[in-house]
Amino acid sequence: MSTNRVTGKLLTAAAVAALAVGSLTACGSSSGSSSSGESKEASAMYTWITNENDRAQWQAFVDAAKKKDPAFNLTLEGPSFNDYWTKVKTRLSSSGAPCIITTQAARAQELKDLTVPLDDMVKSNNIDVSMYNKAMIDGLTVDGSLRGIPYDAEPVVLYYNKDLLAAAGVAPPTTKYTTSQFAADLKALTKGGVMGLAVPPGFGSGPGLPMAFANGNEPVKDGKLDLTNQGLVNDQQFAFDLVAKAQVANPPQASDGTDVPEQQFMSGKAAMIIDGPWMYDTLTTKTQGKVGIAVVPSTSGESIGMIQGSAFAIAASCKDKEAAFKNIMKITTPEVIGAVGAARGTVPSVESAVKDWAGTKPAADVAVVQALLKSGRPLVTTPSWNQVETNFTQYSGEGFRGSKTAQELLSTIMNSAK
Amino acid sequence: MLGFLIFIVLPLVASLVISLFDWPLFGAPKFVGLDNYVRLLTGDPVFWTVLGNTLFFAVSYTVVNLIAALAVATWLHNLGSWGPFFRVLFFIPVVTPMVANALVWRLMLTDDGVINSFLANFGIHGPSWLSDSQLAMGSLIAMSVWQGIGYNIIVLGAGLSGISPNLLEAARIDGAGAWQRFFRVVLPMLSPSLFFCTVMTIIGSFKVFTQPYLLTLGGPGDSTNTIVLYLYRNGFSFDKLGYASALAWALFVIVMLITALQFSQQKRLVNYDN
Repeated sequence: MSTNRVTGKLLTAAAVAALAVGSLTACGSSSGSSSSGESKEASAMYTWITNENDRAQWQAFVDAAKKKDPAFNLTLEGPSFNDYWTKVKTRLSSSGAPCIITTQAARAQELKDLTVPLDDMVKSNNIDVSMYNKAMIDGLTVDGSLRGIPYDAEPVVLYYNKDLLAAAGVAPPTTKYTTSQFAADLKALTKGGVMGLAVPPGFGSGPGLPMAFANGNEPVKDGKLDLTNQGLVNDQQFAFDLVAKAQVANPPQASDGTDVPEQQFMSGKAAMIIDGPWMYDTLTTKTQGKVGIAVVPSTSGESIGMIQGSAFAIAASCKDKEAAFKNIMKITTPEVIGAVGAARGTVPSVESAVKDWAGTKPAADVAVVQALLKSGRPLVTTPSWNQVETNFTQYSGEGFRGSKTAQELLSTIMNSAK
Repeated sequence: MLGFLIFIVLPLVASLVISLFDWPLFGAPKFVGLDNYVRLLTGDPVFWTVLGNTLFFAVSYTVVNLIAALAVATWLHNLGSWGPFFRVLFFIPVVTPMVANALVWRLMLTDDGVINSFLANFGIHGPSWLSDSQLAMGSLIAMSVWQGIGYNIIVLGAGLSGISPNLLEAARIDGAGAWQRFFRVVLPMLSPSLFFCTVMTIIGSFKVFTQPYLLTLGGPGDSTNTIVLYLYRNGFSFDKLGYASALAWALFVIVMLITALQFSQQKRLVNYDN
C-alpha cells in the first residue's frame, strides 16, 4: 500500500471527526446481509429525494423492475437535489453507505473518484451499451471508462404558455427559433404584470448556457474549463441583457432554486421558461393555461440540444459491486426505462423506449424532443463544476442586474475554479 | 478525559494537519506545507473580502444587538408584572431553529415578499433587500439581531436584577437624575454582564453561517459571503479540505486575538464589586 494511500486513510478518519461530517450526512443504514445473500448495501441507492415527485419516480423504477423480478427491491435514501452533490461525498465515506448512487453526465467528472468503471462488468454481463443514447454514454465516460448506466437523456427545451402567447399575438415557436425572434416575442409578452421569461440564477439551469449550447458553444474544451470563449460569453451576456436591459424577466435572487421561476411560469406570471423535459408533466398539468414546448433559441434558429441526463453508478466503497451492477441492470432495461418514461415523463435513454414516453403527448412536442435528441450533445463538465455552479449562482445576480458583464463574471468564476 | 481527547484534541490536531495538505477528500492527499496559508494571505482576494464582510457583520451586529438589548432589558426591568411576558416573547426567536427563522425572513425580504407588498400599499416600490449589494448585509444583520437579541436581554436583565436598590436610592438621595443614575451606577454595576455579552456576541457573530447560506448564498457577488460560509464551501462543495482547514485556523486565530484583546481590557472596563 502506498504512503499516499495510508496517509489518505488516516486523514479520512481524522477529517470525519475534525469536520463533524456526520451532521451533514443522512442516517446511515446498518450493514449486514439479506436473506438472499446479497448485502443490503448492494440493493440500496443514495439519490436525490427533493420531494414526493422524486420519491415517486424512484418507486416507478422499482415497480417496473418488480414486474420481471417480484423479489426485486431497492431501498432509497438521500437529500434534496441541491444538497445531493455536497452530501454524496461525505455519505459515501461513512460505513454502510449504499452501493448504488445516482449521477449525471454533467457530474460524471466531478464524481469520478466516488464511482467505479463499469466496462468490465458491462462486458462480462454481455450488456450492449450502444442501445443507450450516445450523448449520454459519451458524457458518462470519464478517462475512457464508463461510470454509469443512463436512464434518461433529456435535452433542455423552451416551455411556453399558449394562452399568453395567443393573447399577445405571438406565434408559438417550434423546432426552429431564432434569438432575435425570441427577444422580440419576450418584449411583446411582457405586459400587464406578466413577464416574458422566468429565469433561475443557476448556470446549467439557464437560460445562458442552454442558449450557448444551442449555438454550439460549450463550457468545457479538451477537458478544461472554457468559460471565457467568446461565443459562450456573448450568449450569457444576451441572457443577462434580456433581464437587465430589456427587462423581460424578473432578476433572480441567488437563493432562488429552480422552483421559484417554475412557480412564476405555472402561475401565469411568466410566459416562457427554459427547463428540462423532466418537468414536462408538472409544467403541462399545473400551469394556468395550455403549455407547449420548442427548441431553445439560437442565432441561426437551428438548435443543438443540451442533453442533461442521469444515470446509476456504483460507489467505489461498495463491497459487492457485481450484485449492485446486476440490480442496476434490472432498472435500466428498455422495458423499465420505457415504463418510467410513460409513468413519470422522463425521456428514456434508450431510443426504442422513447415511443413509450411519447405516449399521448402532442406530436409537436414529441417532434421537438426527438429533434434535439438527434442534434444533442451532452453537457460535459470538469471535476470543479460544483464550484462553477455555486459561484455562478452567487454572482449571477450582478449580471442579471447589469452591474457586471458576463465577461467579468465568467472570468472570475473560471479563475477561482481552476 | 477520553471524550475530551476524541472530540476536542483530535479534531484540532487533525484540522491542523489537514491544513498542510492539498486534499480533495476522495483523491490522494498531497503535502503542500504552508501553501494553503500563503495562498490564503497573498493569493486569494475572496478571503480578504469575506474577512472584511465578517468583521463588518461582527461589529455592526454586536453594537446594534448590545445597545438594543440593553434598552429593552432596562425597559422590561421597569415594566412590572408584564416584564416576564415580554421577556419570553423576545426569547422565542432564540429557541426557534435558525433555519426556520431564516426561511420566514426570506419570504418577507424577497422582491415581492411581505415587506415590499406592504410598502406597495402606500405606493412605495420596495428595494431588493437581498439582491442589492448595498442592502443585503443590512438585511442579514437585522434578521440576526431579531434572532439573537433575546439571549442578551435575559443576561442583562439578570444583571439589572442583581443591582442593589440601595445603591440607586443612595444616588437618588445624593441628587442624581435618571441619566446620571444609569451611566454612573447602573452601567458600572452591569459591566460584568455587558462584558460577558460582548465577548459571546462577538465570538458568535464571527461564526455567522446560516443567514447568508439560506438568504443570499453569499451574494450578490461576494457582498454577504462570510468566513464560515466560504470555509464550508471550500470544504464540502469545492472539495478543498486542506484550504478549508487553513481557513478554520485563520478564523480561530482571529477570534482568539480579539477575545484576548477584550480580556486584556477587562480590568480597566469591568467593575467587579469586590
